[in-house]
Amino acid sequence: MIIKPEGLTGNIRREADLVIIGSGAGGGPIAKEMAEAGYSVVVLEEGGYFTREDFDFRPGQALTRLYRDASQGVVLGLPVIVVPQGKTVGGTTTINSGTCLRVPRHVLKRWHLECGLRDITEDEMNLLYSAVEEYLFVKRADPEVVGKNNLTFLRAAEKLGYSGGFLPRNAKDCEGYGVCAYGCPSGAKQSVNVSYIPDAVKAGADVYTHCRAEHIVVRSGRATGVRGHFLDPRNGRKTYRMEVEAPVVVLAGGAIQTPSLLMHNRICLSSGRVGKNLSIHPCGAAMALMDEPLDNPKGIPQSTYVDEFAADGIMLEGVNLPPAVTAITLPWGGRRHAETMSRYPYLGYFGSMISEHDSSGKVVAGPSARQPLTFYNMGRGDLERVKRSVLLMAEIWFAAGARRVYTPIDGFKELSGARDVSRLARTHLKRASVYGLTAYHPMGTCSMGADPYHSVVKSSGETWEVENLFICDASVLPTSLGVNPQLTIMSLALRTAGFIDDRLNEGSIEKQSASRMDRLRSRLRREKETRAQRADNLEVGLL
Amino acid sequence: MRDYFIRRLRRLTPIFIEPVDGLPPADPDDVVEFSREFLQAGTPAFRIIFYAMMFVLQALCFATRGKSLFSLPPDEADEFIQSLYSHRISALSAIPTILGTPIYMAHYNRDDMQAPLGFDILALREDAAKRGVER
Repeated sequence: MIIKPEGLTGNIRREADLVIIGSGAGGGPIAKEMAEAGYSVVVLEEGGYFTREDFDFRPGQALTRLYRDASQGVVLGLPVIVVPQGKTVGGTTTINSGTCLRVPRHVLKRWHLECGLRDITEDEMNLLYSAVEEYLFVKRADPEVVGKNNLTFLRAAEKLGYSGGFLPRNAKDCEGYGVCAYGCPSGAKQSVNVSYIPDAVKAGADVYTHCRAEHIVVRSGRATGVRGHFLDPRNGRKTYRMEVEAPVVVLAGGAIQTPSLLMHNRICLSSGRVGKNLSIHPCGAAMALMDEPLDNPKGIPQSTYVDEFAADGIMLEGVNLPPAVTAITLPWGGRRHAETMSRYPYLGYFGSMISEHDSSGKVVAGPSARQPLTFYNMGRGDLERVKRSVLLMAEIWFAAGARRVYTPIDGFKELSGARDVSRLARTHLKRASVYGLTAYHPMGTCSMGADPYHSVVKSSGETWEVENLFICDASVLPTSLGVNPQLTIMSLALRTAGFIDDRLNEGSIEKQSASRMDRLRSRLRREKETRAQRADNLEVGLL
Repeated sequence: MRDYFIRRLRRLTPIFIEPVDGLPPADPDDVVEFSREFLQAGTPAFRIIFYAMMFVLQALCFATRGKSLFSLPPDEADEFIQSLYSHRISALSAIPTILGTPIYMAHYNRDDMQAPLGFDILALREDAAKRGVER
């Protein structure tokens, strides 16, 4: 069941087979897998639990309830970059766009060659991806509901000869309300809060909300439980204590919180890699003023893409903003702001995602485990990529008939045609001249690897240093993916669940990849049959 | 939020939010209420910076215009805010950006503000309630 702190009357002490910290893309799938395998599972989630009835289309309320620190978290450096993250049951999947892309082949090859992760084979990943995609109803965005904004941009890109298409998403019967980032109000988006967590709960898992894990208990080099506190949802103050004793602990708090917790607990630090290797996807944006209304924010916000320049680390992906968010992204205020906002129906948006080449970042311990400090140094090459992506989007918007294009670059906040575009192209950009840059998908801060000197976890997800402590979130991804990572995190979570099952069953992790693969295949086959049976029954019922 | 900052925020609201024909006027109470919630849910660092920016904004106005921001005529106040937004030094252009974040978010988050812009939340909520998707 899902336990909220309002009903508690005192400290809680629990025993379980495994305790999971975090209920997002990593924690959710493990909770479901393990609960369905018959283990007792406890999930600790720092955020609250909300259902589709609570998602009210208002971005302001969503920021304060569903986002970590009301989305004020930044990575320090030049430029300062805002990194929004979810803090609710379902983690960031509750407030993301639902895009589900597989890891590109060249990235997987890099994992094999540079990180020694040869046992994460393409064959196995494909099997895991298929299982997750099927479970989450992943399919290409329906052109009928992608919305005029995304479609206009895609058509213009195609006119210029750039390749693109419709993004695969984890949505079932999506109506394109345009507010994926503030909680899906119809329940169409199959984020972890409506998929893995409810199924885990159905199978017997207990999810404690507003419960912050603070201390990972380690005895004789082995994780044995977690201690923490419940938080008062009104003011965030600590209330009752929570203590879970479990032979396996899974840390799935995300690439910023997970290393912070390890650093504050002073565990797994011997490699010196905890918190290092922070990788994010910096995002550019271009807003266009069109002659015709684009019906914003109607339509799936992130539904189309242009991948012509993906090999150069630039991926253009759709975005769509409601008025309240448009208002805070405009690079001016007062009268000019009011004038631009009055033309809101005529504004078009598109975003870019940069796969880093020469940037680097790290997470360091802050004043508390909850408040880590993150630093990020954006490289020249990546800054140029941000500029190039903005130029490309401007070119495409002008081809679509835009009268003006607004960019986040100082001195070029408003472009009125090809002349401005070429002037921007010739400009040498400084790091401080990009306004209000955001980035998504923090990764890599507890990276997976083949040896304990250069990585924090083994390919099974278990830490090198503490036995029975598994990490399963974006922090284990050893390199930047260049695509949205949720599908990969979920797939790796299923893989890690298999290893945890082995550990709880036999006491030692089964190294025979082949037999594990066979078991995985047969388990997925069984699941598929059950789902098909359920669908048949439903159909018969409907007839 | 202390009374002092509430008063300041109330007076800043009409400087940031200019009236537009056909759209409701700014509601300083609503802005204060949302800002309180937004700052409480956010990081201590942002809170400190936000309050500090109120002083810095006023100090800059005194330094460059010789007057308090609140005693400037509307046109001049608007020009001052614009000049900060487009300032080459990013630390200065960050001042109105940070102060404007909860102000604009609060204003454009209102149902009666979004509906005339084509985002009718009440109608959409009604529609979404009928269309609940089951797995």
